[in-house]
Amino acid sequence: MGNSGGTPALETTGLSKSYPTGVLHRGRRSALEELTLSVPRGEVFGYLGPNGAGKTTTLKLLLGLLRPDRGAARILGVPHTERGWRYRAGYLPENPYLYDYLTPLEYLDYAGRLFGMPRPERGERSRQVLERVGLAASARIPLRRFSKGMLQRAGLAQALLNDPELVFLDEPMSGLDPLGRHMVKEVILDLRSRGRTVIFSTHILSDAESLCDRVGLLRAGRLVTVGRLDEILRIDVSHLEVLVSGVGSVILERLPGLKGRRALGERWSLEVEEKSLGTVVQAVQQAGGRVLSVLPVRESLEDYFLREMGA
Amino acid sequence: MTRIVAVAANTYRETVRERVLYNLVFFALLMTVSGLVMKQLSIRQDERIIKDIGLAAMELFGTLIAVFIGVGLVSKEIERRSLYPLLAKPLDRSEFVLGKFAGLGFTLLVNVGVMTAGLYLTLAATRGALDSNLLKAVYTIFLGLLLVVALALLFSAVSSSMLAAVGTVILVVAGRFSDVIRNMKQVAPATPDWLSVGLYYALPNFASLDLKRRVVHLDPVSATDLAWITLYAAAYLIVVLGLALTVFRSREFV
Repeated sequence: MGNSGGTPALETTGLSKSYPTGVLHRGRRSALEELTLSVPRGEVFGYLGPNGAGKTTTLKLLLGLLRPDRGAARILGVPHTERGWRYRAGYLPENPYLYDYLTPLEYLDYAGRLFGMPRPERGERSRQVLERVGLAASARIPLRRFSKGMLQRAGLAQALLNDPELVFLDEPMSGLDPLGRHMVKEVILDLRSRGRTVIFSTHILSDAESLCDRVGLLRAGRLVTVGRLDEILRIDVSHLEVLVSGVGSVILERLPGLKGRRALGERWSLEVEEKSLGTVVQAVQQAGGRVLSVLPVRESLEDYFLREMGA
Repeated sequence: MTRIVAVAANTYRETVRERVLYNLVFFALLMTVSGLVMKQLSIRQDERIIKDIGLAAMELFGTLIAVFIGVGLVSKEIERRSLYPLLAKPLDRSEFVLGKFAGLGFTLLVNVGVMTAGLYLTLAATRGALDSNLLKAVYTIFLGLLLVVALALLFSAVSSSMLAAVGTVILVVAGRFSDVIRNMKQVAPATPDWLSVGLYYALPNFASLDLKRRVVHLDPVSATDLAWITLYAAAYLIVVLGLALTVFRSREFV
């Protein structure tokens, strides 16, 4: 398990999908075009893009819920159309709907039977994953009484039931409160530490930034970028954020190299070009003010995302 | 096979937790017991009226259960997307459909068992003869219910619950009047033979499965009769389930 085997966890070649449009289905709307991607084992891969970019379509194609127009995919070394890899993978759909009339324990028992797990193993694993997602105390409460966040946790539990080598998570943070999001992050980091592969789609960029080894950016069905965050993001310091107090706006207006300013009560947050830092500090001190902090600012994933999307 | 059993067990659990099931079984039993009153009101106070009403209740309410639970078996799973995490597991689509069929089939078997027990208890209350021939009619009613489930499943695999209900009810009603369809020419002379004959053979012939009248009137039902009925029902089931599997296997979940 884990890093065993030299084959990538996921490999797609020219995967494409279009949907019929119009009443008579005469037109086609492309949802995914020529997706060629490789995700090595043991990696946390963030699949990013705005709504409608093709993230869920990709996951559905891989899981066999949709059929590609063209292209192929291999998951854990076998063609995605075969059944074998499904024993070793987990999937959390976006906003999962589980069965109202079952309790989490019953649902996980059902899922375990589909994996062919013997009864003692089903019970043991169910308890472990419910503990892991923070639902141990609600294990015997019918799912119809669950909040959206609790359903998301139960969905995550079924995705982890078979201790998968590869986990597909479609918008895993959706509907979760801060505690829930922290829990999901912990689960993802734990999976990575045990050599598992996680592929998750999200449009919450701060989550991707804090978790992913690599990200792929999808726009209108096309993969526009794939790479490590430090390769993708501009590593140069774009500007400095200087926090000052005791100076008035009249003084600030005369400062050289100032790209922007924001009032924070009696303080000011200044956007300063790196080369102008000395001049700005000197000017503030001469005006009787104080420099409280200086922080270098680099491009964030959100900046990159907005730049790539042309926003 | 174990996965089919898993889906069937879950379907059974789902159906027995449906409130509508208990309502329908309650009304079926109420109707059966009402045979006692009807018997008192009838001229000959014949226990045949209890058998008639009991078997009719079993068939009517069994059909309602088969249609109204059956049409949601697959379509609800698609509409609510509860199917997605299941199909991501090592579960073949055919196993899913067959498990759904087996699960509701088992629910109906239990219901038919309960209603049969109700019928025999009602007969016992009138000190009537506990005619074991009734079981032959019960058996063919159950075969008919399995056919209804298969039809509901087929519609459920291609359309929404509402459309599936309409389609299934139309086929079930048309199948009950298959003889009328075969003799359509007498009413509408312009009807081409190929149409009336084609429809007669294509529609499920529920009339041929109906042994209620023969059993109630103590007409003999031979083992050969039962074998032919079983063969017809099995052949029709295989065709309808085969269609349902083919359609469901080719479906995409956008």
